Amino acid sequence: MTDDALAAELRRRALALFGRSLHIRTVDTGSCAVCESEIRLLSAPPYDLHRLGFFFTPAPRHADLLLITGPAVRAMDTALLKTFEATPDPKAVVAVGACALGGVYEEDGFVHGAVDRVLPVDVYVPGCPPSPLALLHGLLVAVGRLEERVAALTFDLAAEVER
Amino acid sequence: MSARQTTAGLPPAFSELAPGVSGARVRPDQLVAITNELATTHPARLADLFASEPRHGAELTLRAVYALDDAARYAIVECPTSGDEFPALSDLDPAAFVEECEIYEQFAVRPANDKPLNRVLIPPHADATFPRLGHRPRPELESLHARHVVEGEAFEFPFGPVRAAGWESLYMGLVTTGEEVLDLYLFHWHKHRGIERRLVGLKPERALFFAERMDGLNAVGNGLAFCRAIETAAGARVAAAAAHTRSIALEMERIYNHAAAVAATCQTTGLSVGQARAEIVLEELLRLNAAAFGHRYLFDVLAPGGVRRVGDADAIRKQLPRACGEFRRVTEALLRTNSHVDRLEATGMLTHEQAQRLGLVGPVARAAGCPIDSRADHPFAPYDQLELSPPVRESGDVLARMEVMLAEVAASEQLVLEQLADAGPGQIDVQPRSAAALGWAESPRGEALTWVSFDSRGAIERARLRPASVRNWRAFDDAARAENVFTDIPIIEASFWLTVAGFAR
Repeated sequence: MTDDALAAELRRRALALFGRSLHIRTVDTGSCAVCESEIRLLSAPPYDLHRLGFFFTPAPRHADLLLITGPAVRAMDTALLKTFEATPDPKAVVAVGACALGGVYEEDGFVHGAVDRVLPVDVYVPGCPPSPLALLHGLLVAVGRLEERVAALTFDLAAEVER
Repeated sequence: MSARQTTAGLPPAFSELAPGVSGARVRPDQLVAITNELATTHPARLADLFASEPRHGAELTLRAVYALDDAARYAIVECPTSGDEFPALSDLDPAAFVEECEIYEQFAVRPANDKPLNRVLIPPHADATFPRLGHRPRPELESLHARHVVEGEAFEFPFGPVRAAGWESLYMGLVTTGEEVLDLYLFHWHKHRGIERRLVGLKPERALFFAERMDGLNAVGNGLAFCRAIETAAGARVAAAAAHTRSIALEMERIYNHAAAVAATCQTTGLSVGQARAEIVLEELLRLNAAAFGHRYLFDVLAPGGVRRVGDADAIRKQLPRACGEFRRVTEALLRTNSHVDRLEATGMLTHEQAQRLGLVGPVARAAGCPIDSRADHPFAPYDQLELSPPVRESGDVLARMEVMLAEVAASEQLVLEQLADAGPGQIDVQPRSAAALGWAESPRGEALTWVSFDSRGAIERARLRPASVRNWRAFDDAARAENVFTDIPIIEASFWLTVAGFAR
């Protein structure tokens, strides 16, 4: 098999892997608890994100995607960075709500003011709070970004064997 | 409404500041004496304690707010202090302890006793540049925090601050020997956003934006307390129709919050069917909020001097009874489900004595036999014209808290429907200058208090925001310790249904 064919195979399998089972870890960096309420409702019957193959996970090591709320309080820096580092690649970061996008708090001694001042953000979901439907849309956009990222991976069999 | 005692019976030092609020200014050496004197005339509940410093280096003023619930009155004791210490109230009144720690963190003065303090809002890594309302403690005062030691058979199980989906960031140190929770302590400081400090220098409109977003699930409760403080400071009176609109929004906030608490209780006992059905009702209520007021969580309904929006009475009249009827069916089924009720009974017990000693408020206090509800005890328009009978339970466990919430949903539904015909728009111009006032409202989680002072230009000098969560979190470790095991902790948290955001503000 050529490298191209291997990459195509990997892509197909990764798509199958993520397509029906994408795990989400949430991090609250100082939200007002309303974004949390909307995230909670994602698994309620009216939205039921499980039917789309999304699941919440209690551990960052099982996560493919981070859902981050709040204005990135500095006191959460360590916890947020540890969560990000513990999440395996490829991963996507979704910033949720006006605070996380930088629309509520200015940067100061308490907060960074926006999540993308701390972490690379892939998808921004605006709203105060974003409704569960807006969150679902954001998640679907994030899956597209993950697919691109997986597709861009190269796989060098010889190097892998050597390692 | 029964005839209530008003100013009668207060010590002579007190004078009337505003309707339902009295104040006294005393010297530091008189503070403890006058609070004792107050306690002999009325059952006085410490509702808040805070400090303010008009300018850097100026004299620090301490204010203790006592709620005299049987006299329909708040009593504010004001006391200037200087030096490194202020008179300690917590020796006699444990309800003051968290606030004393907060004053130490913000203003570098400590209560005049030898007890170690707890860390409340300032994170441990904070240095000299960390923003505070006053200034940082000098190095020799910095080691006052209690050392945390876990010894013997016990170990500490660290949990958080990042938690499961839909739960706010909170660090819990569970001290255990394996299953039983021996002790539990909480770190709320991960979410401290310095809202009180942010409000300094802002005008009322802009400040309300932050006061609502400090604790979004109580946006109306906290926002109303804030607006009422502004209006009292300006000597303004809100139109009757607008007051009804505010009350409708506040009661609708209570209904959706209690429905969410029931859903969370089912989630934590593992009853998926109950959770799903309660969440269907919750979603219906949130959509009704959006249909009636334009926002699922009722943000921006209030304005200083009135309301920005008027609820759509037809939508409420049509959809609220349907949603509340479905909620009743769900909760009746829940209370017949023994596997669920067994987990709630005798879990997370709080005694009447504990609730009083710690100065708890809201459903948590009412479930432990304290019949306090600021809508009934400290009435303001329109609650002074409405029939209110706060539900009370005696057992103080998770089940009692759930029963109180269910009774409150039914009562709030009636309050909303009663007022629809009278509700309307209205916003008057309020420009408070060189004035200060106290505002209060009964948020879903209990009494919300605000004290605001304005300078001569109408900007905020000091805004003290005290959501109900600030008072009630201090009872969480007591409730968790009472012969509970690990898996009870989430159930207790769901029944308290507090916000970390409200505490950490």
